[in-house]
Amino acid sequence: MKKASQAPPKFRFEEVHNTLPEAVSSSRSKPATERPRKRKGPGLRDVSVLENPYRHKWRFIRWSFLLAVNFFFFASFYFDIQLLEGTLSGSRLLGFHLADPFAAMQTMLASKVFNINLFIGMITVVLIYLLLGGRFFCSWVCPYHFLAELGEWLHKRLIHKKWIKRNHVFNDRIKHFFSIFFLLLALFSGYTVFEVINPVGALSRALVYGSGLVLIWVGALLAFEVFYSRRAWCRYFCPVGVSYSLIGRIAPFKMRWNINKCSNCKRCQKVCMVPWVLKETVNLGKSEYVMSGDCTRCGLCVDACEDGALRYHVRYLDQLI
Amino acid sequence: MKAPESSGASKSQTENQSFTRRFFFKKTSTALIAGGGAACGLAAVPLLQGEELRLRPPGALAERVFLASCIKCGQCLQVCPPQVIQLAGLRDGFGIGTPYIVPKEGACILCKGLPCVLACPTGALDHHLSEGKDAEMGLAVVHPDTCLAKRNRNEVAHALRHLSAQQGQGGFGEHEEEHEHAEPPPNSKVPRTSASQTSNESPPTPDLQATLAKLLQRLTPEEADLLDSEFEVSGTPEQRLQGLLDQPTPQRLEQLERFYLKTQSGAVGCRVCLERCPIASEAPIVFVPDVHPKNGKPSFRPVVQQSCVGCGVCEQYCPTSPASITITPRMRWGEGEAA
Repeated sequence: MKKASQAPPKFRFEEVHNTLPEAVSSSRSKPATERPRKRKGPGLRDVSVLENPYRHKWRFIRWSFLLAVNFFFFASFYFDIQLLEGTLSGSRLLGFHLADPFAAMQTMLASKVFNINLFIGMITVVLIYLLLGGRFFCSWVCPYHFLAELGEWLHKRLIHKKWIKRNHVFNDRIKHFFSIFFLLLALFSGYTVFEVINPVGALSRALVYGSGLVLIWVGALLAFEVFYSRRAWCRYFCPVGVSYSLIGRIAPFKMRWNINKCSNCKRCQKVCMVPWVLKETVNLGKSEYVMSGDCTRCGLCVDACEDGALRYHVRYLDQLI
Repeated sequence: MKAPESSGASKSQTENQSFTRRFFFKKTSTALIAGGGAACGLAAVPLLQGEELRLRPPGALAERVFLASCIKCGQCLQVCPPQVIQLAGLRDGFGIGTPYIVPKEGACILCKGLPCVLACPTGALDHHLSEGKDAEMGLAVVHPDTCLAKRNRNEVAHALRHLSAQQGQGGFGEHEEEHEHAEPPPNSKVPRTSASQTSNESPPTPDLQATLAKLLQRLTPEEADLLDSEFEVSGTPEQRLQGLLDQPTPQRLEQLERFYLKTQSGAVGCRVCLERCPIASEAPIVFVPDVHPKNGKPSFRPVVQQSCVGCGVCEQYCPTSPASITITPRMRWGEGEAA
């Protein structure tokens, strides 16, 4: 170390180092005061989703899509368009059944009846998200995710203002136990217990049919996320997300990481809403694609990457064509 | 060389120890939390059952199976032509998001083809049901104490009494039996006067209009002529209606009621439940001879038959309040008071 710093190349190294984005320097072990920092807002550690100083292209597209889908749900009933009838638990798109896989599984386990319509609806949704990429549902469709995104922004603001000490992190595998627990509960109790507390279904129903008391629970959940643990429901608990993450593992539509373009700035991880999904790819270089099922294909990393190293990509597509 | 190595080893050992201890605590606490959560979930199962039995849309499976198989999408509500299906809230526990009907606010009219049943993606509303008359939503139960038919009282006369009581200053005569039903209680003067003031200023209510229209419809031509002379109206039925509506004073309504009671149709008891019944051809309600509870005159009493499906239309249109015929959800023929 000492030898290297005394040697002539040291100067060049420093130069290169300084030209790198500041995120790199913050991830090194050197004390932070040594390097000049141009900071805005909460600092790089907590670059807010909404304050991301980079581009907003994909977020704009995604939010438009999310709002449009939910508006169609709302308008189909309110203006009687009959385009997308129902809610996110179960609906009909131009007459074709769609059913949320987790809700459908619960219903079948609880009633112990195999219903062909429900099964068809479930398979249709599974196929759709096989194409779109699993937890694509979360960031592109789920209304709770939208609120949680705003909650995350608020959470980061509050941390920056030192109103909250820190973010509390849980083990992200809790959600698998959670979903198994609720499936077993449905099987043994004979009720779809999770649907009582499901914030996705509740919000979707509130959106289409008017609000209900259950929104208090959704608000409490959001408050927990804002004041205690960032995006806790989506990251650590949501069984609906688990069902889609299982689909997402094998879905070919993934984020692709181009190692040759990457300058290793880790901005993608700063903005990522599920920070561990990029680890295997960007940190460890195990795969060219972001393989984790938890990746929601939200595109924040694409927006954040100044090198163009992260892109939406359909795996196996080049081999097919 | 040796010293640092040994110190390193001991350090790693202590680290290991602290790691295992932390590991132990972490796992124990996780297990405790998970176990507690599971216990709470199981304990909540009986608590989370709904407070009351709801009237479900036609074709609903047995309540427990229905709760299990309903996916809470609300598609039945979306396709319901009369828009009477509502979705349950948090108070219904497991029933949250499930459809139900409050007959008094709007009853199921057993539409042709049963669109709600067709819309159900899970079969919680049984697809085997194809006709409204085969539905088993519940049964109607008659409460003869308040039933107008049993008192030979016509629903139009009843409505006139109510309207005049609503509009008047309470100077209405001591007629038969109406005090328990009069809307404003006799001892609360302030709200009544304020209500009468507002009603005097406002145009005739749709209730009044509908009642008078019904009255005029029921009159025979001779009776109509009599009405013209007595109330100084004339012309077509519309003009008569307008003439009557011009002065909806309590005295006039009272006079009208007395007039109506003397006519042919005014003497006949209320038959609204059967008239409104969507499956009236199946004769779910028959009127059997009975006697007036007070004066002992012969009258009729509605009796619910097996063909009743419990749609609730009779409850919705029953002119008394509370309704003299109500739906008991899920009740089958031969159970409880129905027999």
